[in-house]
Amino acid sequence: MTSARSTRNRIAFAIIVITAIVAVLVVRLVDIQVVQADSLNQQAYSTLSVPLSIYGARGDIVDANGTVLATTVIKYTITASPVDVADFTPLDPKTGAAEALVTPVQAAAEIGAITGQTADAVYALLTADKTSSYALIIKDVSLDQYNAVKALQIPWLYYETDPQRVYPNGSVAGNLVGYMGTDTTGAVTGTGGLEAEENQCLAGSDGEQTYEKGADGVAIPNTLVVNKQPVTGGTVVTTIDSDLQYYAQQVLAQRVSSTGAQWGSVVVEEVKTGKLLAVAQYPTADPNNLDATDPNYWGAIAFSDPFEPGSTFKSESAAALIDAGKATPATQVLTPYKYTAPGGSVITDSEVHDPAPYTLTGVIQQSSNVGISILSAMLTTQQRYDYMKKFHLGEATEVNFPGESEGILGDPNKWDEQTLYNSSFGQGVTTTAAQIASIYQTLGNGGVRMPVQLVSGCKQSDGTVTDVPASQGEQVVSASAAEQTVNMMQSVVEGGYAADSLKIPGYNVAAKTGTAEVSNGEGAYGGGYLTSVAGVAPAESPQYVVSVNIMKPVTVEDGSASAPVFQKIMSQVLQKYRVLPSTVPAVDYPTSY
Amino acid sequence: MTSVAPSPRYAPAEYDPAPYDPTTEPFDFPATGLGPSIRSRLTLASDLVLRRRKPKLVYAAVVILGVMAIVVTQLLLSVGLSNGAYQIESLQTQQKTIDRSNADLQEKLDSLSSPQNLAASAQSLGMVSNSNPVYLRLSDGAVLGTPKAATAGSGTFTGGQSSLVPPAATTPATPATSPAAATAAGATAVGATAAGATAAGTTPAATTPGAPAAAATDPTVPWQGDLPSPTTH
Repeated sequence: MTSARSTRNRIAFAIIVITAIVAVLVVRLVDIQVVQADSLNQQAYSTLSVPLSIYGARGDIVDANGTVLATTVIKYTITASPVDVADFTPLDPKTGAAEALVTPVQAAAEIGAITGQTADAVYALLTADKTSSYALIIKDVSLDQYNAVKALQIPWLYYETDPQRVYPNGSVAGNLVGYMGTDTTGAVTGTGGLEAEENQCLAGSDGEQTYEKGADGVAIPNTLVVNKQPVTGGTVVTTIDSDLQYYAQQVLAQRVSSTGAQWGSVVVEEVKTGKLLAVAQYPTADPNNLDATDPNYWGAIAFSDPFEPGSTFKSESAAALIDAGKATPATQVLTPYKYTAPGGSVITDSEVHDPAPYTLTGVIQQSSNVGISILSAMLTTQQRYDYMKKFHLGEATEVNFPGESEGILGDPNKWDEQTLYNSSFGQGVTTTAAQIASIYQTLGNGGVRMPVQLVSGCKQSDGTVTDVPASQGEQVVSASAAEQTVNMMQSVVEGGYAADSLKIPGYNVAAKTGTAEVSNGEGAYGGGYLTSVAGVAPAESPQYVVSVNIMKPVTVEDGSASAPVFQKIMSQVLQKYRVLPSTVPAVDYPTSY
Repeated sequence: MTSVAPSPRYAPAEYDPAPYDPTTEPFDFPATGLGPSIRSRLTLASDLVLRRRKPKLVYAAVVILGVMAIVVTQLLLSVGLSNGAYQIESLQTQQKTIDRSNADLQEKLDSLSSPQNLAASAQSLGMVSNSNPVYLRLSDGAVLGTPKAATAGSGTFTGGQSSLVPPAATTPATPATSPAAATAAGATAVGATAAGATAAGTTPAATTPGAPAAAATDPTVPWQGDLPSPTTH
């Protein structure tokens, strides 16, 4: 009886205990499997999974022929873990046999020999903070150096890759491609030149992927997940010819140096299309090493630095006069050395001369300020201003280069008496070198101004070209007015003061020299001269514009400073693009009567 | 029309299975599951039941073998997969190395093909450009321009002056070797070839290293094939 009861009690007790244990386990199970499931899974995944950024490369900038002007390369950064620095035994890569023991001092010397640092410097980096697990040894070494360091088999070294922007052509077109910097958020982005202007085309975006790794670091099969695809940036195709750009920079640099000038710029433009083939300047920055150059010259001064153009502007005034029907190349004007205008302003020519019976052609050839002033007075101020606007002066070109200047025309109703006349020969108004080139492109193209082009499009990675600029021309002056103006400019090359250094054997060339007074910055002249030549060739069927501007030359102070540069570069352009020599004689309008 | 009579297909089947009745079908009941009470009552059937059970050994063997086959296959598959993972890993490493060295070589090529380096190389090889182009018009054979030889001083691309546009600051330029060095290298190469050939006993002994070197400095290149046609731009 008692034994039966005790047996029942024992069974009951066992059942209660087992039930209690099961209950506890069930609670725990539910807790782990249901309640905490998400956070535990997350923990496990974060230990196992390795996130990887997939680099979306920034696009290249190339010239018209595909020569790379700017590209992205991978550089290598070597870091160390000082806390782990110790002796180690490298293995022979072929046989796997152990080699001699290497001490940290020896390793430092070996690293230094490859990276160009001294052994002491490397050792100092390793021992600066021995408790740290991070020490930068050297940034941005080349692949060869990286491979050499890696071959040392140093176990406490780590390697990172770092995309870097490089400019293989250095300062060739360095003024145009621009440079990289950081934006307000600290992200690396284009901050100058085309790098900035075309940032939207160039920028790639990084992708993301994760995989789960086993104990030995090898990916577990089928665990790779690409969360976000990387996007490679587009290629910016410019209209620049890097060989011509180099030649222009070389010739300009020689002349700027030999004349002791402050700076110079050269613009080469294709007449039929408005494409810029070269936009050279001196000094030019090498975007790989900007600090070697004065920050004033990091950009493209042909776009950013306006100046009073001087006599190269007379072609615009003459074209306006002919187009309005107020003059012909044979229009006569008795030109004194000094002329007092009805409003009281006084205009003089650059050299004293007796009153000369010039035609309009003679005014252009002799670059007479008085002559062009008297003739331009036949147009109202508003008409002259309207012509300037039709040539797109006083506004940025279609290139819209970062920091591009519009130039200043001012309000024609507020031009003072002096500016009324001065503006006909390019004083009192300012233009950029690109705008001057565009005037000559218009005159060479039968009066049709083409939009100025520096970039011919953004080539996406799938080969499509987007952002193609407009190529719709616009008639500014009549075809005959443009042709007569070009013909008049042939007289400058035939008999102007710089004729000898402008002539190109075999070709008829039309050009105009200029020697503009430069403002001293205090509302008066006297700061030196801007000497220039702009012209087209071959004159009977213009193909190319070359415009040269040299600021404040010392040894030569007139257009002769720029003339040899124009002559050399135009010769090179005609030769390079296989323009056949002229077969007709130069047009010879009478210059006097 | 709101209520529709259910389609006959979905209506409960008018099938009423008759409950199993062992008394009416005494020999057709399944081998297992009806309990010992029935079997004990029907002892005559026991032999039949035992005979029917015999083939199940084969079934069991098939099932066990099948399971083992699946396990082995599974094992091989996972071994294969993880082997593949290692192979993929090694190939990816290899591809990365090759990509990197490709990018590195491309960078060097871009740098070497920059106009500064090309001009410097051409100059150091003694090349000059002729700034006096002459055209041959193919339609009538007329020669446009006056042919004039390029001279060493005026004919260089940079007008005889040193380059004022330095090469890119990132990479040290390695311009082509000078003509003297190139000739010397050529002579050495020819000499080495001649020596090798002589050693093999197939070349006449008259070959001297000096003669081919002199020929190498001759700048004229003999035409081969048709006259070159102008490049159209």
